[in-house]
Amino acid sequence: MRIILALLALAGVVVGVLAYRVQVDNLPEPLTTTTRAMATVVAAWSFLVAGLIAWLRRPDNRLGPLMVATCFALLARQFRYSHDPLAFTVFFLVGELGYVLYTHVALAYPSGRVIDRLERTFLVAAYTVSLAFPLAILLTYDATERLRYFDPFLRESLLLVTGSAELVRLLQDLYGGVAYGVLACVFVLLVVRRFVRATPRARRLLAPLLLAAVVAALWALLNGILTYAETPPDLTYDLFWWQIIGLTALPMALLAGLLRARLARVHVGELVVHLDQTSPGELRDELALALNDPTLEVAFWLPEQGGYVDAEGNSVPMPIDGPERAVTRIEHEGQALAVLVHDPTLRDEPKLVEAVAAAARLALVNARLHAEVRSQLEMVQESRARIVTAADEERRRIERDLHDGAQQRLVALALELRSAQRRLGEERDPEIDQLLESTADELQVALQELRELAQGIHPGILTQGGLAPALESLAARVPLPVSVAATQERLPPDVEATAYFVACEALTNVVKHSGATKASIRAMRDDGMLVVEVEDNGVGGASAGGGSGLRGLADRVEAHGGHFRVESSPGSGTRVLGEIPCAS
Amino acid sequence: MRVVIADDSVLLREGLARVLTEGGFEIVAQAADADELRQAVRRFKPDIAIVDVRMPPTHTDEGARAAVEIRAEQPEVAVLVLSQVVEAAHAMRLFSERPEGFGYLLKDRVLEIDDFLEAVRRVGRGGTAIDPEVIGQLVGRRREDSPLDELTPREREVLELMAQGLSNRGICEKLVVSPKTVETHVNSIFGKLGLMPTGDEHRRVLAVLAYLRS
Repeated sequence: MRIILALLALAGVVVGVLAYRVQVDNLPEPLTTTTRAMATVVAAWSFLVAGLIAWLRRPDNRLGPLMVATCFALLARQFRYSHDPLAFTVFFLVGELGYVLYTHVALAYPSGRVIDRLERTFLVAAYTVSLAFPLAILLTYDATERLRYFDPFLRESLLLVTGSAELVRLLQDLYGGVAYGVLACVFVLLVVRRFVRATPRARRLLAPLLLAAVVAALWALLNGILTYAETPPDLTYDLFWWQIIGLTALPMALLAGLLRARLARVHVGELVVHLDQTSPGELRDELALALNDPTLEVAFWLPEQGGYVDAEGNSVPMPIDGPERAVTRIEHEGQALAVLVHDPTLRDEPKLVEAVAAAARLALVNARLHAEVRSQLEMVQESRARIVTAADEERRRIERDLHDGAQQRLVALALELRSAQRRLGEERDPEIDQLLESTADELQVALQELRELAQGIHPGILTQGGLAPALESLAARVPLPVSVAATQERLPPDVEATAYFVACEALTNVVKHSGATKASIRAMRDDGMLVVEVEDNGVGGASAGGGSGLRGLADRVEAHGGHFRVESSPGSGTRVLGEIPCAS
Repeated sequence: MRVVIADDSVLLREGLARVLTEGGFEIVAQAADADELRQAVRRFKPDIAIVDVRMPPTHTDEGARAAVEIRAEQPEVAVLVLSQVVEAAHAMRLFSERPEGFGYLLKDRVLEIDDFLEAVRRVGRGGTAIDPEVIGQLVGRRREDSPLDELTPREREVLELMAQGLSNRGICEKLVVSPKTVETHVNSIFGKLGLMPTGDEHRRVLAVLAYLRS
């Protein structure tokens, strides 16, 4: 392989030198100068250098061979100036292929293939035109007139069938218009179209290359227009350098692209160093940097859940490989680990993606563990909220059943008894009267007990009147002065219940342990939160840990996605603070 | 006196109706929920509506809300609210500075038939009946340096009866003392609490309740 490439390089140098000689020997000034002859050769060599490097580094990519071919085609073009009839005929025929190969390279970058149908059609047309017109000219060129861009000496076409100076002139004009005008226009449009359609990452890769292509194509376009005009020589010279720049810029851009890939490898090296200090949350950013793809997404496969999650443990849809986004699967010990969802241009750099994946594998295993824990935590959180809500709902239901069922019935029953007692009138048997009296009294005691039970399960006032009256009622039952400031709004039942129980438990603690002489309850809405605050002036020293009721409160508040805090330094009272999210 | 009863329990409604009828009241309609109550009150214009706080469909406070509406729309209709749970805060909210023709009693109070009939009569005539437990909550609430602490136990009793809406005569009967004694107690209480004496009973209830709430 290397030998073939070395031979090609050698051949390129030799052919280049010959091409230089052909120009200098056959074209008098001002048609060419030694500098300009040198420049055309150097421009062709730039394709050779870039093509050989690309070939060496990406043997399976056709871009390298294409560029080497472009070099030889561009050099071959110069041999048509030879006065030898055979050389003239052969190289005049293929002399235009270099420019078509140029567009081919531009359109095939970076994959080496032209897949788009429109682009393929364009190339077929371009190759056909660039061969058909020179052939037609050779068939009719009878050496009576000077050829365009040639020196005044006439050449002999070995393919001459019927000579016609007029036809040759017409064909040359037509070719100038079609090849340099129309085809160049189409090429520019195709290039712009590619750029517009490209993903942001691809655009960055394409930008220098497309700029070069557009410069070259605009030169061709101008050249095509000037075919129909008498051109002042100065302008032709300027156009010459323009052409050289346009030609050389393409391989330069490609070399820059290759260099970028080398830079990317440096990134991989940095990645390995950085990963040590990278938290699972930042892993994506590091990978995005290493792959030079800001749109990169990382999804972790969780076998137990049978689905993908992001770094935070939120489940994400199954990533699908497609034209918009490419998916690279990463395995660990033969098991699916994660997928990288990235820009499709990275498909052309599989080595880079592989290197990054290999470097990041351990960090990815780690990050997946992290994501898995987050995901489980979220599920536990959700189930905890459901359990608390269900328990609250159940308490409300029991209270309601007691209220609407047993309590109502007992009152009605006791009323019947009392009414029966009255109906007996004055002549009632004292024993029966006594019996009725004590039964009704017992019923009343039972009612009282039932009411207290129901209140303990879930305070009816909370359901009936909301938080403010419930807290006022709570404060009224406590044997120390308690001021109450509470929102008059009705809030979702579970929010009201949670706030109520926070106040209730905190106040119970105040009475039992604090030795306080006064306390205050606040329950106000603040920025989507219901903030419940119970403060006292007691001995302090309470904590939310341990087996205290405060721990249970913290659980309850946190189950609803809220925060719970106890501030209680010895000697300066206690402040219990609960924040419960309430969207409504 | 014409009465509308609203309670979702048929058993209780019937029991109440019988007791009230025997007590000399005329039951013009019975309602099982808040809508029926509103219609019945509009149609029959009773002297008093006896309303259960919790009724279908949500069993939360539709009775109480209907009571507030009736008092706003038809002030001439007295309302007696019955509840399985009585709360001072809730009571205050319901009568909203207008104790005339308003009652708020624990449901169990219907079992003390004579007292209950008396309360219905009082409210129906434009008086007030606040449940002793509510007053107990208000009086029992601890305050810092409250003049209530200076009241004698007897005065405290009289204060609570006043707050419940009883007139001097009612208090006499309840405590079995002479009108003169009651008057002495009342004056002493007003003096200690720094309230202006007033002959009007509604204003007296309001003043006492306002004081207890503060």
